[in-house]
Amino acid sequence: MVRGGGRRSQATAGRLQSAVSYAVLLTLLLIVIFPFYWMTITSFKSEDQMRSLVSMFWPSPVVDENYRQLLGKTDFVAWFKNSIIVAFTSTFLATAIGTIGAYALARLRFLGRAFMASAVLITYLVPPSILFIPLYAQIRNLSLADTLTGLIVAYPSFTVPFVTWLLMGYFESIPEELEESAMIDGATRFGAFYRIVLPLAAPGLLAAALYAFTQAWNEFLYALVFITDVKLRTLPVGLSSFITGDVYGWGYLMAGAVLTTLPVIAAYMYLQKYMVEGLTAGSVKG
Amino acid sequence: MPTTAAQLGTKSAALERKVRTGRVGLKRWLGPDYRLGFLFVLPIVVLVLALVAYPFGYAVYLSMTRKYVGLPPVFVGFENYVKLTFDGFFQRAVVNSFVFTFGSVGVKLLLGMGMALVLTSQIRFRSFWTGVLLIPWVAPTVVSALNFLWIYDGSLGVLNYLLVKVFRILPQGVGWLSEAGTAMASVIAVNVWRGFPFFGISFLAGMKAIPGELYEAAAVDGATAVQRFRHVTMPGIRNIVIIVMLLSTIWTFNDFAIVYILTKGGPGGTTMVLPVFTYEMAFGAQRLGEAIAAALYMLPPLAFVIIVLARHMRRGRAK
Repeated sequence: MVRGGGRRSQATAGRLQSAVSYAVLLTLLLIVIFPFYWMTITSFKSEDQMRSLVSMFWPSPVVDENYRQLLGKTDFVAWFKNSIIVAFTSTFLATAIGTIGAYALARLRFLGRAFMASAVLITYLVPPSILFIPLYAQIRNLSLADTLTGLIVAYPSFTVPFVTWLLMGYFESIPEELEESAMIDGATRFGAFYRIVLPLAAPGLLAAALYAFTQAWNEFLYALVFITDVKLRTLPVGLSSFITGDVYGWGYLMAGAVLTTLPVIAAYMYLQKYMVEGLTAGSVKG
Repeated sequence: MPTTAAQLGTKSAALERKVRTGRVGLKRWLGPDYRLGFLFVLPIVVLVLALVAYPFGYAVYLSMTRKYVGLPPVFVGFENYVKLTFDGFFQRAVVNSFVFTFGSVGVKLLLGMGMALVLTSQIRFRSFWTGVLLIPWVAPTVVSALNFLWIYDGSLGVLNYLLVKVFRILPQGVGWLSEAGTAMASVIAVNVWRGFPFFGISFLAGMKAIPGELYEAAAVDGATAVQRFRHVTMPGIRNIVIIVMLLSTIWTFNDFAIVYILTKGGPGGTTMVLPVFTYEMAFGAQRLGEAIAAALYMLPPLAFVIIVLARHMRRGRAK
């Protein structure tokens, strides 16, 4: 009897707890998803509908004029191309430099290793808002201001330290014995790295590359400062320039927002597992 | 005397020995893997020197000059720093930056903890919800800021529509970003929206690493849920909480995009934070020396935070 009553109250407590959990979860989901939902439906609304505040939460009629205007009458396509060029190039650079650097800092024994490992971590933590003016001066001295090359040169300042720090954790988690036994079997140090460690670290490399891509794709401050030519803008700067013009059409602005978000969200959804693991391995691991 | 093959052999062997001992000496000094190590680390060394160390040194120098765009710098010592110290606009930007940072980090801590606790409880499709909740963190900051600019819009924005027409909480719409009373809270909300998933996912990783036996033992001892949280969960994720809060403090203090897009520091300077102040000083007023001094003004506390944080992060790794 008594035990039964205890079990029943325990079950009630459990049910209450899960009800609270679901309520909190639902609230958080609403907060997180609503802005994306709102952005998407706005991009399909007509100007008239937006002005008259009717059928707020669904476009009626569904129109594609915002997308037509965005792609036909603005420089959006050029900006998209610029973003692709800058993001892919700097991702490739960051992943290549970061991978070999992280392997050296995690595994090889040489003078200055500990110092460099600290330097990488500190560089990762130094914010761009301190560096953007002197970097701009330097980029200008190299005649790279107002070029995409300038951005490609500058972006590794934040992508490489992050990728290196993330991959150091991955390499450290791979048992050293694997390389040692490969080297006893006659492999060189480089061979052991290339044939044994790299394939095992592939998920980490993927996560690192994805984050480098996202960071480069989303970067705003350097792109805003280094580029003045309208045609050479990247997507974030281009999009934000829509609001400084005289008329801002929320419709095509939101259409641009949708198309800017799609690549990163698509990559993220497809490779979510690696990115969630990579994030927790890269910045915090306790 | 003709040199025989045998003599040649001993000579080359001696030579080889010499070379080898030389290499051993180098190896002793530079470490056993120094050749591949130096080669692999070289790009990072170049990068850190060219893109961080040199610009940083140059920034320190420029902050002590009177520098206008296109003109050579004139050395003035600490004049810029002194001037800033007594500049009312700068003082306000410092205060605003602290309000913005601590307000944001505090709320992110609470929401992140809630998120992590929900995602460790007994609910269905946990990993799916985890993925969805992380989306604001991967979405472009500029897009998120523009979304909220539209949501906050005084006349056509959906926030006013919801509060006035749907829920009837307010009698009339509020200019969320254009009124001094609400602007700061509104920009903080956007920073929180973007940043709390990172807190949540990090805390979640920490909580998952706590051995289940600890909770079982606590339950056997009759600990309530609150006690288990205080005495098992919190000590287990302490290091992660410290790391995440310090990381977020640095990021938030230096967040440029959200404030720049939403308010540009307005209305009347109520949301002017240091990064936007620096940007306006450099590219609006064209006073580079003062702008850099403004950026570097908070360097001592920032350096302190970075050093403490770097220690914690390395210790977290070493475990």
